Amino acid sequence: METLSFEFPAGQPPKGRALVGCVGSGDLEVLLEPGTPGILSIQVQTSVNGAEQRWQHLFERIFQEHTPPALNIDIHDFGATPGVVRLRLEQGFEEIGHD
Amino acid sequence: MVNAHDLLWGMTPAHVPADAPAWVLEALGAGQPVVVRRAIAQPGQVAVGVRGRLREQRFAAQMPLALVRRRVTPQALREVTSPRDLPALQALAQLRPLLAQKDWGVSGSAGFELATGIEALHDASDLDLILRTPEPLERRDAGDLLAILDTAVCAVDLQLQTPFGAVALREWAGSSRRVLLKTASGAHLVIDPWQALV
Repeated sequence: METLSFEFPAGQPPKGRALVGCVGSGDLEVLLEPGTPGILSIQVQTSVNGAEQRWQHLFERIFQEHTPPALNIDIHDFGATPGVVRLRLEQGFEEIGHD
Repeated sequence: MVNAHDLLWGMTPAHVPADAPAWVLEALGAGQPVVVRRAIAQPGQVAVGVRGRLREQRFAAQMPLALVRRRVTPQALREVTSPRDLPALQALAQLRPLLAQKDWGVSGSAGFELATGIEALHDASDLDLILRTPEPLERRDAGDLLAILDTAVCAVDLQLQTPFGAVALREWAGSSRRVLLKTASGAHLVIDPWQALV
């Protein structure tokens, strides 16, 4: 088990919070909460060690498409593929947008 | 015809790329089975995963179907018992009578251990189960089933097997509008896991 921290530039914090995903192999659980304006802060707790670079690259690819809202994101990863991580984040952003 | 989570025997070290990690060659050399993955394979092949002792030791490969000497489905492991005393095995004993009317099976570490006798479970292991659901399962009924599984002595991860892929019972029983459907072509967020993807 390993805990990783990441920070990215962000916009304004949203009002709501959201919890998406599932505890179970090949999946992940994502908690999104309003953060400090301008900062997207991500904590990843993962069962797969030695994957910091992989997460960094994946987040960079996701957030370069559009500036994310200012959030504190907590991720509990159970060996999810990059495709699943991307979908879960997309789902979390969508749910926060609905509040 | 093979399905995700089936265990297949017959693959040898000669059938993985030469640069595969040493533990992969060891596992196959010892005659261990591989696990069918939900992924697209070339004609005549099946996508499989090789398990190592450590959690991060999972290796994706393809196995020629002609090599399959023996196949064990998760359903075939329902009545298999083990002399080991671990939470996941206690949970299995607890749930067995409660699931008797359903088309269910044992997957993950518990399935691997019951099929091979190789110690794959430990004290903190979840119990992984599958449930074949060719017909839609109402979300309310999913909630009732989840409540039963949550009475077990350890966490139980049950994956519903729809005609189009797999969805976690826990997620289907929850409140999220879209759920993650794992298919051979990858994961998708869908509203109805029993509807073909367009």
